Amino acid sequence: MKKLFFPLLMFTSLYGEVGVSGHVDLDSQFYLMHPEGKNKNSFTAKQTLELEYTHKDLTLFTSLYAQEAYYDFTKESEKTERTFARINELYAKYDFEEDAVKAGKSIEFWGALELRNITDGFNPRDFRNDMFANDKLGVYNVAYTHYFENSNLSLITKLQEEQQFMAAEPYVYYFFPSFVSYDGTLETQESKNRPSIYLKYSGSTDTEYPMDYAFIYENGYDSQRYFSTTTPQNLLVGSPTRGQPTRFVENAYIVNKFMTYDTLVVGSTLVKLEALYAKVDNNPVVGDYSHIGLGVEYTIENIYESHALGLLAEYYRYDTYESDKFSDLQLFETMQNDLFIGARYTFNNTEDSSFVGGAIFDLEYDEQSYYLKFESRVHGNFKLSCDYYYIVPSTKLLSFPTAYQFLGKHQKLGINIAYYF
Amino acid sequence: MKLLTGLVLSVSTLFALTNAELAQKSKKAMDGFEDSISYMQMTLINAAGQKKVRRMKMKVLEGKDSDKSLMEFLSPADVKGTKFLSYEHVNKDDDQWIYLPALHRVKRIASKNKSGAFMGSEFSYEDLGAFNPKKYKYEGSPSESSLNGKAVYVSPAIPVSKYSGYTKLISYVDKNTFLVQKIEYYDRKHELLKVGTFDAYKKISGVYRIQGITMKNVQNDKTTILKWSDETIKNGLSARDFNKRYLSR
Repeated sequence: MKKLFFPLLMFTSLYGEVGVSGHVDLDSQFYLMHPEGKNKNSFTAKQTLELEYTHKDLTLFTSLYAQEAYYDFTKESEKTERTFARINELYAKYDFEEDAVKAGKSIEFWGALELRNITDGFNPRDFRNDMFANDKLGVYNVAYTHYFENSNLSLITKLQEEQQFMAAEPYVYYFFPSFVSYDGTLETQESKNRPSIYLKYSGSTDTEYPMDYAFIYENGYDSQRYFSTTTPQNLLVGSPTRGQPTRFVENAYIVNKFMTYDTLVVGSTLVKLEALYAKVDNNPVVGDYSHIGLGVEYTIENIYESHALGLLAEYYRYDTYESDKFSDLQLFETMQNDLFIGARYTFNNTEDSSFVGGAIFDLEYDEQSYYLKFESRVHGNFKLSCDYYYIVPSTKLLSFPTAYQFLGKHQKLGINIAYYF
Repeated sequence: MKLLTGLVLSVSTLFALTNAELAQKSKKAMDGFEDSISYMQMTLINAAGQKKVRRMKMKVLEGKDSDKSLMEFLSPADVKGTKFLSYEHVNKDDDQWIYLPALHRVKRIASKNKSGAFMGSEFSYEDLGAFNPKKYKYEGSPSESSLNGKAVYVSPAIPVSKYSGYTKLISYVDKNTFLVQKIEYYDRKHELLKVGTFDAYKKISGVYRIQGITMKNVQNDKTTILKWSDETIKNGLSARDFNKRYLSR
């Protein structure tokens, strides 16, 4: 009897709550305007599986992801190298009375703005999906947080820098010229495992105009990276070796960085700020820089029946402070002097249908981007998303092309059908 | 002594109950749960009779004037894990945040206007907040009527906030228990918008708790039925359990 009783007791004491969820997506994209030689469309199957185990104050969580691109199963010249599987998150978290410890691979969100979160640099992005998707890579880290009544202080140590892979050339969002190859190689200023330390203080004020605030200090690898080659002459217009096969590598460098993201509530208006200043640690090509984003969001409830209209306006400014080093162009920074005007129309219906759209105006290089997205639950567990993007690149002759000039005039129509479980 | 007590009671009945006093008694009838953990099922029925079901887990911490609540969505599957945290206030706007698990993002919500529909239902955010007489203006005394065979007080109330979606609420309150049985909601055009029927109360650990509300919008003919289940109260929750830390994973 004892033999049965003790294992049963052990099992019961270990018993917790298990949660399983996820979704399967079929993603179709049609490029109505695209550079010559690139695939005209892409069809991708995506699977996300999340498993969560909780027992008292312990949480174990994993998020697994895989995708298969149609063209990777067709002829060699069309292959996009966008078929892969990865672990997005795998971590353990333990909550004490006033503290918490989290260790493993995780994805965090830091930011307040709507269009682009310039302080959200904890996780690098995966370049293998479209440039409009915020497809983050999980990073290995250990975090300790102490909670005060209305605020908390976190010490986070990132343990490793992740490689950012890129799709192959036939994919429309492979930005480099056809003679440039990039295989995801990452070169780091020090060891790849040199820890990046983040000290984050965040909270909320209990004032007439309440505010959510966060202040972060980082010593470690910057979220901004740059590409380099040992044969730069192959890129120069007029060079006899121009267009010869050229290999790019990505570089990560060390910074001391100060960041803040805040949201102030003034009646029905949210006033948002994201700002950062990076002091670069003696890098030959990247100098100190700052980036700021300011935004307002005003929501009108019941504009028609129970529909709500949110009005959005945001301005972004990026500055480098060492003129002999890379500028925003060489760093592929698209939000360097940009104004975003947008709107969100929420139907507040049983299907949670909504439209989000906007226009982004580059005030320096005279570029425009327009987009419109629609989302709705269609039948029980199915969700439909459609989006349209139109990008008009700069016609200015610049010292280095903008990211959109690499892409060319571009129109994309996307349809995503997802089954959630 | 008995004579004196009887005299005092007789005199007190001479003074009619005011609407403000009735509101206080209604609040008192539901007070004292300290905290609550329950599951909620929301059935949305459109004008054609088609139904959609949503499930949520709800935690509430009772405050002196206002409550704190944390709601987690369990279904539909695409919103599973979404959490909504609210700190109610009487003299200023509520503090509200939503956690979007797909983005790992906690987002602040501007809560001045609480007339917006809650998750596509016929309930607005202000319908779901804790009842507090300080949020309303009362005049005069209630009239008396009957509702489904029960003797009830009929009591009007005017929302104090100019951002309320209503210009008037008329409550039907059980004369014996002071529990609200029905509320009629009048929109900004002073027209009847919705009728909320409080379907059943259950005494849990000596405190009355609502078990279901049917909200019928008489203008669009849609109905939402909200039902609570597996509710426990006095669980020993504290403000710590409603910290923003419990929004995200």
